[in-house]
Amino acid sequence: MTPRRARRSIRLSRPARLLGGLGIGLVTVVVGAAVFAPLVARFSPTARTGRPFEHPSATHLLGTNDIGQDLFAQLLYGARVSLIIAFLSAVVAVAIGLGVALAAGYLGGRVEMLLMGVVDLTLSFPFFVLVIVLSVFLGRGVLGAVLITGVVLWARPARVLRSQVLKTTQFGHVTAARAMGAGTPRILFRHVMPRLMPLIVGQLVRAANIAVLIQASLAFLGLGDTQRVSWGTTLYFANARSAVLTDAWKWWILPPGLALTVTVVGCAFVGLALEEWADPRLANHRPPYRARRVSRPTSGGRDSAIRADRRSSLIVRGVTVDYLGRGRAARAVDCVDLDVGSGRICGLVGESGSGKTSLANALVGMGRRPAKVIAGSAVLGSFEVPIRRRSEMALLRGRRIAFIPQNAMNALNPARRILDQVAESAALTRGDAGARSRAVELLELVGIPGERHRAYPHEFSGGMRQRVVIAMSLANDPELLVADEPTSGLDVVTQSHILALIVELRERLGMTLLLISHDLPMLAKVSDDLAVMYGGRIVEVGETASIVESPIHPYTVALLAAHPTLRGPRRVLAALAGEPFDPARLPSGCRFGPRCPHVADRCRSDEPTLRPIAGGRSVACVLVGDSEPESQPVSVKVNAGG
Amino acid sequence: MVSGRRAAHALVRFAVLVWVALTLNFALPRMAPGNVVDYLLPPEEGGSLPADQRLDLLRQFGLDRSWPVQYWRYLTGALRGDLGVSARYGRPVTDLLLERVGWTLLLVGTAALIATVVGTMLGFRSGWRRGSARDAGVMAGVLVADSAPPFFVGSLLMLVFAVKLRWFPTLSGLGRNDEHGLAAVVNVLRRVTLPLTTLVIANLGPLYLVARSAIVSELQEDYVFLAEAKGLSADQVRRHAQRNALLPVSTVAMVNLGTLVGGATVVETVFSFPGLGRLIYESVVARDYATIQGAALLLVLGVVIANLVSDLIYPLLDPRVRAQRESR
Repeated sequence: MTPRRARRSIRLSRPARLLGGLGIGLVTVVVGAAVFAPLVARFSPTARTGRPFEHPSATHLLGTNDIGQDLFAQLLYGARVSLIIAFLSAVVAVAIGLGVALAAGYLGGRVEMLLMGVVDLTLSFPFFVLVIVLSVFLGRGVLGAVLITGVVLWARPARVLRSQVLKTTQFGHVTAARAMGAGTPRILFRHVMPRLMPLIVGQLVRAANIAVLIQASLAFLGLGDTQRVSWGTTLYFANARSAVLTDAWKWWILPPGLALTVTVVGCAFVGLALEEWADPRLANHRPPYRARRVSRPTSGGRDSAIRADRRSSLIVRGVTVDYLGRGRAARAVDCVDLDVGSGRICGLVGESGSGKTSLANALVGMGRRPAKVIAGSAVLGSFEVPIRRRSEMALLRGRRIAFIPQNAMNALNPARRILDQVAESAALTRGDAGARSRAVELLELVGIPGERHRAYPHEFSGGMRQRVVIAMSLANDPELLVADEPTSGLDVVTQSHILALIVELRERLGMTLLLISHDLPMLAKVSDDLAVMYGGRIVEVGETASIVESPIHPYTVALLAAHPTLRGPRRVLAALAGEPFDPARLPSGCRFGPRCPHVADRCRSDEPTLRPIAGGRSVACVLVGDSEPESQPVSVKVNAGG
Repeated sequence: MVSGRRAAHALVRFAVLVWVALTLNFALPRMAPGNVVDYLLPPEEGGSLPADQRLDLLRQFGLDRSWPVQYWRYLTGALRGDLGVSARYGRPVTDLLLERVGWTLLLVGTAALIATVVGTMLGFRSGWRRGSARDAGVMAGVLVADSAPPFFVGSLLMLVFAVKLRWFPTLSGLGRNDEHGLAAVVNVLRRVTLPLTTLVIANLGPLYLVARSAIVSELQEDYVFLAEAKGLSADQVRRHAQRNALLPVSTVAMVNLGTLVGGATVVETVFSFPGLGRLIYESVVARDYATIQGAALLLVLGVVIANLVSDLIYPLLDPRVRAQRESR
């Protein structure tokens, strides 16, 4: 992605825009007051222009202080000192921080360790105490204040900018520039600095923010330049003369206090917006959870592919999942029907983006925004599964229906012992004591010996962690277990151990299993039935043995041709040509059409539906006629192989 | 043993910080413009002192010796608890500090505790319901409270609760000190409440913000998805996420302690609270440099010790830290 495109795609969330705008407004007012003070104020802030303790009047808008100085003039002129010191200190702090960050991030090694050690040390000092001591000894003028504040505040920008420098220097184009022989200064200014700019501005605002408060606090403690009028000194004199005890607080304490607050709040708001601009992930803006245009599910479900020979344990009908985006929805699962017989293992196979994970999530009620189940039903045994009502699904999950999400073995809570995590699942249906003994039993069941039950997840290998996850899912004797890629990320030997465990457990516990994977040979080894998904639809379903023996749908054929087999005749492996299915660009007719080696005119006009053919199989391909179930696949297979 | 290494690391860091603080204290008066003697005496006496008496004074404080000797004496003295003599009171600085340190400890310790607990709880709730109207409202409120200078907040609180409503004394330092038992406790509470509230309000911000963003990022983690997949209730899922979100919160709580100590200096001044901060203010006014230095040193030491303790107990919070530290 080119930088320009990236820039354009960054949009601030609504709160950030609001806050940013408000912040800029507030800061502008304060800066305006500072700049135009001589025009607006009628008196000099330091001249004695009235009697002491005058109440507000037309002449003295905010009255006068104990020696008759005009408080309104002090308020306006006070902004100058506060802002100048804040701005200059921030510049000093960020400049030092930037220098350190560039040096550390770029030189690396010992220099970096040393510099970051100093940063750490500086950060652990209570900085305001440091400022007090420094200003006691090093003077109270504006320059002194600027230097002292800057020197004390540099560490935070240094740390923030350093990590960004590190990130930036690892970007591909920077590495490339360096490989092409660009010198360090050139890299720093051409490639690193532009990326740092938003962060630098953000840190500048933040440092200015703290500097305003430091300056005011110093002045309040009598450590400021008492000759110069600032909000802090005004408050210092107000406090020294106990203005709180009299009516004078209304015009002596309140206005400068509010002015300080407004300035800092303004800066903070601007800072928040800037930070979000620098790091769009902070925006966390998700598409709204409502569809602008929800179309009806495409036809073709109801009457297809119910297997009459067996009483189905899981019956899925017409499940449709949309990803709701800005303005338009992408359909990940389109009117899927699926039956899994009681106690059988059904493998759901398909490439990335085929909709298998979306389907699994929908079946267990875990569809996360922006995914939404917009149609469909499921029946488990004789029980209607409320897949479209998330709150009701939450009460079923982990009980009648168990779910092992993708990458679950890396998702165990790192801060808790595995026994506790398994017991937590078991406790959903029983008391704490029962849950613990159940957890021990479960862990033994999946082959984790007793002495390791009190270990933490990071002390286990991937395979062991996956065993823990399986134990967890079985805690409450589920009737159905949906496992999404339970073996990916494991080495081949561990994979087969985990698979053997799953098969063994199915045998012992008698649950129904839906196994989801992109790995067809793996599923072929363990599943009884196979459902092949493409483009959000099931294109072929039937008994595993028969599908592997004679695949009919061209996509199934291609999937099988892409994997080597250990047994059987040697053959040429064929990768599937063309681009993966993109739900945002639906082709007309058959979704596999653009990649299908047998594509015919009919495929572009007619949308195939899943129709039963001989041998208990169903296929969604217009080229497969009911009349010639055996002749077609053979020719397809031959062609695909060659 | 890895945790032993971690402890050693923390101790070295601690020693370096203390050394830097001491050295800064030694160097500053000597780097400052003017004569060292000016920093030994209140200005009204120091300015008019005849030359021979100034020399006597130098000798008396060992300031005629070479710098390394002075430095060594200063370091060993400080380590024995000798921080010099207050020019204002003519008493050892250490004695003055010991009188005041209890009050500051009470104020800062309690404020840190309350600010941490309240800020974290608010942040967790906001983050859990991020984007809601309540989240936005609390966020705006905390940002404003965080932006107001602590002495301004203190003045307002004093105005409302002490001057107008008369619930609390205006000046925490004044009043009788001879009560015993319950009366004494009530007396202390009455003095502490307003400065404490001020400090808590002024220091909620960082904790609220970090707790909120920590919970938001935890909720996007895989383990939250797994916890939901397991069938846990929303409350259980939240507990999982909160426990892990406490790690960044605890780090910020320690950094915040430094800010809080700084804020205490100002707030004590507003309320004439008899702690170290007020002592610093009085000493600034009286140009009592030894006392300023001593009080600042003690405050720095307090923060650094608190950091050391938190460094040492951090592994108890996160069992992974040992492994992580090792790999870094």
